[in-house]
Amino acid sequence: MRRLLGLLLLSAFAFAGEVNADVIARPYDLWELIYKIWLFIAVVIYAVVAIPSLYFMIKYRFKPGEREVGDQEHEGHWGLEALWTIVPLIIVLYLATHGFAIFTQMRKPPENALELKVTGFAWGWMFQYPNGKMVVASAIRDTEDKKCKPEDCYRVDGALQQYAYIPAGVPIKVLLTSQDVVHSFYVRAAGVTQDAVPGRTTYLWFQINKPGEYWVFCREYCGQWHSRMFAKLKVVPKEEFDKWLKGEVAGFENKTVKVVKAKENKAQEVVR
Amino acid sequence: MREALPAHKPWFAASLWEWIFTTDHKKIGIMYGVTSTVFFIVAGLMALGMRLELFSPGAQYLKPETYNWFLTVHGAVILLWWAIGIWASFANFLIPLMIGARDVAFPRLNALGYWMFFAASVIALLTFIPGNHIMTMWTGYPPLATMQGVGFAGTTALFVFIWHLTGFASIAGAVNFITTVVAMRQPGIGFFNLNLFIHGIIAANVIQLLGVPSVAGAVTMLFLDTYLKTSFFDPARGGDPVLYQNLFWFYSHPAVYVMVLPAFGVISEVVSALARKPIFGYRSMVIAIWAIALVGFTVWTHHMFVSGIPDWVKIIMSYTTLLIAVPTGIKIFNWVATLYRSAIQYRTPMLYALGAILMFLIGGLTGIPLGIPAFDVAVHDSYFVVGHFHYVLGMAVTLSAFAGFFYWWPKITGRMYPEGLGKLSFWVVIVGSNLLYFAQLIIGIWGMPRRYYDYPPIDSWIELHQLQTYGAFILAFGILLALTALIKGAISGEKAPDNPWMSNSLEWRLPSPPPPHNFEEPPKVEEDYCPHGYCKF
Repeated sequence: MRRLLGLLLLSAFAFAGEVNADVIARPYDLWELIYKIWLFIAVVIYAVVAIPSLYFMIKYRFKPGEREVGDQEHEGHWGLEALWTIVPLIIVLYLATHGFAIFTQMRKPPENALELKVTGFAWGWMFQYPNGKMVVASAIRDTEDKKCKPEDCYRVDGALQQYAYIPAGVPIKVLLTSQDVVHSFYVRAAGVTQDAVPGRTTYLWFQINKPGEYWVFCREYCGQWHSRMFAKLKVVPKEEFDKWLKGEVAGFENKTVKVVKAKENKAQEVVR
Repeated sequence: MREALPAHKPWFAASLWEWIFTTDHKKIGIMYGVTSTVFFIVAGLMALGMRLELFSPGAQYLKPETYNWFLTVHGAVILLWWAIGIWASFANFLIPLMIGARDVAFPRLNALGYWMFFAASVIALLTFIPGNHIMTMWTGYPPLATMQGVGFAGTTALFVFIWHLTGFASIAGAVNFITTVVAMRQPGIGFFNLNLFIHGIIAANVIQLLGVPSVAGAVTMLFLDTYLKTSFFDPARGGDPVLYQNLFWFYSHPAVYVMVLPAFGVISEVVSALARKPIFGYRSMVIAIWAIALVGFTVWTHHMFVSGIPDWVKIIMSYTTLLIAVPTGIKIFNWVATLYRSAIQYRTPMLYALGAILMFLIGGLTGIPLGIPAFDVAVHDSYFVVGHFHYVLGMAVTLSAFAGFFYWWPKITGRMYPEGLGKLSFWVVIVGSNLLYFAQLIIGIWGMPRRYYDYPPIDSWIELHQLQTYGAFILAFGILLALTALIKGAISGEKAPDNPWMSNSLEWRLPSPPPPHNFEEPPKVEEDYCPHGYCKF
């Protein structure tokens, strides 16, 4: 038994070690792996349970005069019951162990990661780059009218005014905190979520290889405009990012946006 | 033998005065049931409002604070009134009948418990007054919940009092039911020939007794933080918001077993009676129930996988969480095995119970990846979670509750429900729920965060939100049909026989409806009594 478990553990770690070179985002590739394994197991288990159930449901119907009573002697079978205790036990131990292996990898930021400080506030994100450059992504400000056309509410140049630039192909380590309530930083393409908790610093890392625009959403309920607390990442080639970081590209300079502290947030005025 | 002169009036014949001051477990059970069902309908209507709002992106019908209030009340009411409260109703009505007792152990405590529950209901209704909305979500995480006002928490006090009062009712109920089952069983009914429904209820109530104090403490601290400016959860003054999450989930995760274990019990009762066969693996069923209740206390941090807790805690709780799948699996396999060589009568309760099993399986299988941190980080607080717990609560628990309604309706009211309408309601409910909840699972995999009033116009998201809204309205229509069938049955159904399902369980040996004091004399329990055996008389 112990040897079997050891083998299971080893194979799990070996399996988790494979990294596909041309993935769009990391650690999404790792997530996809555990997702596919789960989906396969779940579909198989569903079939194993549902097919016999449907078969029994059709075959063993009550028929007057023919089958009015079930088999009264068929009350249990220790062998069978042991079987469907032990097999699921092995499956979940495997899943948890493989998940453990993948999770260890997911949580370890690569050495060369770019460190980004992100602070959540109600309702927006403040990105601080290593050289001190700041981007405030906030679509809702206390002066703002809530009425925006649906296609504008989530658009940069609509409600949101700034992109957070990210270099393509470079791992980013995000150090998270919050200045008011609990928020949660979710990079959709990379499939990672981490809470931004006031008074704590948490971290996550991700890497997006393909230039483009990507969503960041808040995933922990944080009040009235939780749903409009988002940011847009603009992933650009490394050289372009470096230029932007130094402020050389015209038009991308920091627009002044007042960050509202939650305690003095006049949320009531937002709506009324 | 004394020639018993039975009182020929049914248990429910009483004046309004008697109903209000009653200590009869059956009346209290029905009062719980009516309160729960009314709130279930209210919470359902609120969900329809939210579904309408989410039909297309942008602000439509509701203001964001109204939406957030709807969402908070929907969550709190469905969990505390429906998924927990409805089992208090079943437990009250059935436990004494199933163990051959004339009432519960502490009838007056029982009445007090109900009236506390009623008081909580009044508080919940107070949140409908403009300016008193609660917008904390049912979890009420600080620091948000300590920040009163429209943009943030709304009226935190009402949130706290709802928890206190329902918590009091839960503890009163738990003390009562546990004592009743421990002390008032007829001789001959022991641990291993007790109804599985009672095992489910008692395991659930042991959880209530151990867990509720934790959440009561958490919300009390929340109250103090909000109004007396203490700093339990305020990081600026040395507190920690994550402490609340730990205390809250220490109860609120096991609370899902409070909701689902009685549902398992009902499924077992209905399946064995209507498949006309003893339940397969009775002993392993009992052990599984208690194993779930026990292990359920060691898994709570899977709600906090992204809260910033240490990684090693996540790993430990990941193993314990997945371990729960084993006893749960045993139950499902045993139900399936019960169908083998049975004689299934497709009556309405059986349809609901079988539907609950197959839907619970989806709920369970989608719960497993949420216990794996590597999977959870991508779908934490997404619609995938919403879909998962709606498969469990909206389907497994709700379908079992309706299975229970239809199954015991003849005993409770003395009349049969209309069979055709009942069956129709099942099919409408199952189609609507699956459209609604399966779309939630998919949209969650695609990243849609939960608790969103508005969402960006991503095409695939819009389609799935519309599908959900259609499903929600079909589901609502199905629930309407089911309730119509029940009410119609109670008013004008044909007279029910004492034992329409030919069950061996004690409650079916009483007349339908049972007389006010249940058993005129203690029922004789035969030597080899088993509530799930096929009735031989």
